[in-house]
Order: sequence, then structure tokens, then C-alpha cells
Amino acid sequence: MWNPELNPPAGGICEPNGPERILKSDQISRSSNVLPFRQPSGVRQVLVLSELHVGERAVLVNLDLPETVQNHLMHMGFVPDALVAVLRRAPAGDPTVYAIDGMEIALRRETAAAIRVRPCENGDILPASMLAPTAKAAR
Amino acid sequence: MSDCCTPPPFAPPVNPPEQGELSTVVLIGPPNAGKSTLFNRLTGLRQKVANFPGVTVEQRLGLMAGIDRDDLTLIDLPGIYSLSPYSEDARVSIDVLKGNMVGTPRPDAILLVLDSLHLTRQLMLAAPVLELGIPTLVLLNMSDLMEQRGGHVDPLKLARELGAPVALISAVKGEGLDVIPRFLNREASREPAKPLTLPVIGNAASAHQWAAQVSRKTCYRAPLSEEKSRRIDDILLHRVWGPLLFMLVVFAVFEAVFAIGQPLSDISGDLLEKIGELVRPFLAAGWVQSLVLDGVWKGISSVLVFLPQILLLFLFIGLLEDSGYLARAALIADRVMQTVGLNGKAFIPLLSAYACAVPAIMATRTIENKRDRLATILVTPFMTCSARLPVYMMLIAAFIPNTTYLHGVLGLRTLVMLGLYLAGFVAAMTTARILKSSVLKSSEAPFILELPQYRRPTLRSLGIRLMDRAKVFLHQAGTIILSVTLALWVMAHLPVSHDAAGHLATPALAESVIGKLGHLIEPAIAPLGFDWKIGIGLVSSVLAREVMVSTMGTLYGADPTTQSLSLNDALTHDLTLGGSLALMIFFAFAMQCTSTMAVVRRETNSWKWPAVQFLYMLTLAWLSAFAVNHLAMMLLK
Repeated sequence: MWNPELNPPAGGICEPNGPERILKSDQISRSSNVLPFRQPSGVRQVLVLSELHVGERAVLVNLDLPETVQNHLMHMGFVPDALVAVLRRAPAGDPTVYAIDGMEIALRRETAAAIRVRPCENGDILPASMLAPTAKAAR
Repeated sequence: MSDCCTPPPFAPPVNPPEQGELSTVVLIGPPNAGKSTLFNRLTGLRQKVANFPGVTVEQRLGLMAGIDRDDLTLIDLPGIYSLSPYSEDARVSIDVLKGNMVGTPRPDAILLVLDSLHLTRQLMLAAPVLELGIPTLVLLNMSDLMEQRGGHVDPLKLARELGAPVALISAVKGEGLDVIPRFLNREASREPAKPLTLPVIGNAASAHQWAAQVSRKTCYRAPLSEEKSRRIDDILLHRVWGPLLFMLVVFAVFEAVFAIGQPLSDISGDLLEKIGELVRPFLAAGWVQSLVLDGVWKGISSVLVFLPQILLLFLFIGLLEDSGYLARAALIADRVMQTVGLNGKAFIPLLSAYACAVPAIMATRTIENKRDRLATILVTPFMTCSARLPVYMMLIAAFIPNTTYLHGVLGLRTLVMLGLYLAGFVAAMTTARILKSSVLKSSEAPFILELPQYRRPTLRSLGIRLMDRAKVFLHQAGTIILSVTLALWVMAHLPVSHDAAGHLATPALAESVIGKLGHLIEPAIAPLGFDWKIGIGLVSSVLAREVMVSTMGTLYGADPTTQSLSLNDALTHDLTLGGSLALMIFFAFAMQCTSTMAVVRRETNSWKWPAVQFLYMLTLAWLSAFAVNHLAMMLLK
């Protein structure tokens, strides 16, 4: 499930502020309401998944969970360096649906709070699995 | 249909196996990869649902008649993400694959089904499966969708990377399936290929790296995402519309079950009665006619009448499950479930318990935390299962007037029925809360839920599901209910005495064996407003709730004073309005189902929990029925 507003563009370069530049206009129609990741310049902060707002994206750093849970989540795509996006919250505000590796996975706040992420940076090289190609690359 | 009783061929054959030596093929893959659709394609209607011996994980077995290989048994295993077990059903899949499952032969061939829309992640499962050294065919499912949406993969390159044949298929459309018989024929006639040594993958992160590498080498290009699911979710998971639509869906299901199901039940009731009357002239008057028509046929048809409604309920639950909505419902319900200490995944068993507690209790195995799972198992039988439906319908039709309010929109009967459903739900939630804050207290288990894409349910899979359920129901009607009605008829006609003229005479119902039994327990149930006839019904319905209806049918059929009356009219001789309400509440709370008790015993691996559950539910049922009966007596005075 590739979505231009949530997945990185071709080449594996994660550009938090400007995927629009490579995308065709009809694909970005919905991306105007996507918040760019607020990132203080020069500070490479480490934060947790539960702190992200809906529409934001980040790169997964590690999982601070019991081993069995961690292993299960990793097989569902929660591996270090994976790009994760916050898709929506359940009507009651929790759990939250995350888009990762082309799938939609719902996690409760306390689980997401144990998953450390960092902001996307220009020049992030993402693993090949995240290389969902744009329509451009497909041509 | 063949069983899984052939001895497992543990040692690999020394000589090249000959055609036909292949016997067991398994279907494995990650959840939602389309295994079941493929299973239905390959087996046609020649399939059955059974449990793995010793554990209550369902396995579906079928002969591969869909591709003219009736000699091969295909087993559909629960979906897995990896070969390290996370939940109970994953453990079963892994045991079967490795040949460690007692009673199931080691598979001779594997069909590995992967979703080609998410191939990279799905490939993580390929390495450990191929390492097992069993001939494997890798099937990239939904390849038509992948190509439609601009995705691509080179199956030849992938086959080279994996050391196993790879094919693009579409299980829904039935495309590309001819590769399966070809693969099976070839595997049967040649020496097993020596397994390609794949990199030993220790942890998930390196498995992911390996999968990413393979997908790159095979020119995999993920397809454009389908936006439809997300757009549907924009509405169905909307802050306001989501919960509203959720409630509307649940309400609509029940409304439809009654609005469509009731007329169908009436028609089949008339039909069954006519059949009985058609047969009557062919049977000699006397005890044979009485046994066959007033005993067995009356008993069985009083239960068969409810088949349309039960199938409708299963149809709707099947629709919700196959379309992908159930996962969303679990997401919406999670917060509420959290307040009683359970998680959203408990919602799925609890919802399917509206159909039947037995599959619902089996469905709890997706709940990872043991204590959460036990709590869910213990409260599941409170949900209003379809077996209560016949009892409620019988009592409501007999005692609740068919008045409507608000210009016919709200019927009193519907309201009473909804009240009973609500009572069961409240009892389940309260009990869960009590359990989770006392004996089953635990740290909260993580809630991890994959939201599959919405899919259009296929008639085929819905049809097969309904056939399964109808078979189970008819089987039950043909075994348990048949034997109970037979036993009841016999007990209602004993002891035989000689009348003044020396002819054999059957006793009055009150004097019969069953009547004496009913009188024996009458003191215990008299405070609830029940007499000895209802008592007989209660005792026999411990086997299964719907037996109540057939029991009453048989009892009234055996009693000359009520023989000519319909079941509804006959009931009014024995129950007051208060007593009937008390009886409904009793059925809402009491555990009257040996199948449920058996499945709880197997799931919890002890008699302790089913015993605790039975006594708790019985006590609650007795006390509530007592309260309702006395309240009604006070109010209706």
C-alpha cells in the first residue's frame, strides 16, 4: 500500500518538507494537510512514537519492549530505520493506526511510547524495503 | 473424506517417490495473504472444519478436488508472521510444518502463499519455511492487483534467489492455479531437490534485511497503494461517524435477523408440520405414531425452525469478517474494552459469541496475554448466542404482546429482545471487570492489530461458511437433540401400567418418570415462578439451550391436555408473565451448553474453570430470575 503522502519518494531519500517536488500533482492533492515534522535545526532529538501527531512521519530507532513482543513487531515491519507515519487515531483517541512497510498497524499509546524514533532527515538512506517507488520511478 | 490418520513419513524416502505417494499438502502464509480463498478454490466443497487433536485450533481439511487431485489432502493452517510462535495458533502451524503435531502427518509439500502487494515483508517468512527442506511452491497472490497498480516482480529471479519454484496467481479470480497440479505432479515423480542453503537468520532485523535484499534483486516494485481502504476508514473510523456507524451496524444485524429471519422461520415451521401430517397416515396409530410424530418429529422440527435465523446471523458475521470491518470494530471497541481490563481483540470473540460461544472461545487464542484470554473465555458465554434465540423467540411469542410504539418503528417484542442482549453484554462486562481487578489481574498486554484492506466478500466463501455452520447445526439436531427427544419421550411414557380392561396404558405426564424428576427439582425453581414442566426443560437444556424448545414440544405433545395446542398456547398454562420474564433472564445468564463447557475445559486445560464458570453463571441466573419474578409479581398486582 503505497501512499505518496506517507511513503518516501524514489531513491530512498526521505524529505520531510518536500516530497511534493517529485510527485505528480494529482498524487499530492491530499498532502496539503500533512504537517511537516517539527524539527529544531541542528538538534537530532530522539523521541517516542506516541508523541507524534497525526500526519507526521519519523524513522524508527529501536524498540524497548519484552523480547517476544519486540520480535513480533519486527516481523510486522517495525525494524530499525523503517519509516513510520501516523495515520489516524481511533475514535476514542487511542489506539493509533500507524502506516509502516505498506501496512496499517494499530498500537496503544503505552506500546507506542516504548518505540523510539527520530525525525526524518534530508539524506536519510532508507532500507530497500521502504523504497516504494513513485510513479515517476516506475516509468 | 480422508482423515489425517496416515502415519507420518518422518524419514525422507530413499528411492524417488512414485506418483501418488504425495498425500498431505499444507497451505501456509502470513495472515491476510489469501490462503483461505485459495483453499476454497483448490478443494471446492469437499472440505471440513476440524480441530487439531489435543488443541482447539481449528484446521480446515479438504481433498484437492478443485484441481482433480482427490488423492491429496490439503490443510489450511492459521496465518503466521514467522516461525517463532507468538500466539497459540501460530504454535500449531509451526508444529504441523515441522511434523511435530501428533496425529497430523508431516507435510509432503508446502504451498507458501504470499501477498504480492507487500512482498518484501512477506518474504521474511519464506526463508524459515524453505529451510524446512520440504518441497515448496511459492505463490505470489493478488498478482493481478499488483500489476494493475504498477507493481512488478520477476518470478524467475525470485525462484533463483529462493531455490524454489515461484508463480504469480490470483486466488480470487482463480488465475494461474494450473501451476499447482504441475508442481505436485513433478514433486511426486522426482527426487526431492536438495534444499538451497539460505542464510541462517537469527533475528528479525537481519531477516528483514535479507528480505529487502532479495526483493531488490528480483526487481520487486511495490504497487501504488489503494487509497480506497483509507478513504473508507476516513468515514468508518471517524471520530463521530465511526462509533455511530459501529452501533448502527450491530443494530442492523440484529434487526435483519428478526425482520428477515422470522418470516422464514414461520414458513419452515409450517412446512415441517405439513411433512409430519403427510407421513401420519402411513404410520399405524398407536405408540409408533406417537413416538415418531409427537416425540421425535415435533422435537426436531421445533429446533429446525430456527435454522434460517441462525444462518442469517452467521451470514452477517461472515460479511463483517470477510470485508475487513471486524478489525476496525476491534479498534473502535478497544477503548471500551480497556475500561473493563480487556483489549480490543476480545471484541472479535465476543461478537462472534453472538453466533456461538464455541468458535468464539477458540477465537480467543489470538489474545496473547494468558490472563486476558482466560478472562475473555470466562465471560464469552454471557453473550447472547444463537442457541438462546429459539428460547427467547418461543417465550416472547407466547407472552409479549405485539404492540408497537412510535408509529410502528419500535416493537415491544424487539425491545424485550434487545434488553436480553443488553443484559448478557452487561453481565459479561461486569464479570470481566471483576475478574481483571481481582484473580486475573495482570499488566496490560500490548495491543497489536493489523488493519487489512477492505475486500468485497465473495459469495463462494460466504456460502462455504454457511454450509459449515448448517452442517454443524444439523449434526447437532440429528444427534444430541434426537437422543434427548427420544429419551424424553420414553421417560414421559413410563412406567406402563395396565388399565381396568387389561390394556397397556401410559401414565399421565405428572406420574411418568420425567414428571417425577420435574417434581423433584420443583422446590428449587418454584421461587423463580417455574413449575415442574419448565424444570424438565431446564434439566434437559443443560446439554444445549435450544433443547429447551424441543423438550417443551415433546412434553406438550405427550400430554393429552395440551396435545392439540400450539407450543405458545400450551406454555401459557405453565408460566405467568413474570415467570416467563424470569425464564428469559435465567437463559440469559445460565451456562447451559455442554459443548461450551467442553471447549473451556480443553482451552484452560483443567476442570476448575468450567466448574467455576458453571456455578457462577447458575448462581447469577437463579438470583436474577428470582428478582425478576418477584419484581414482576409486585408490579403486576
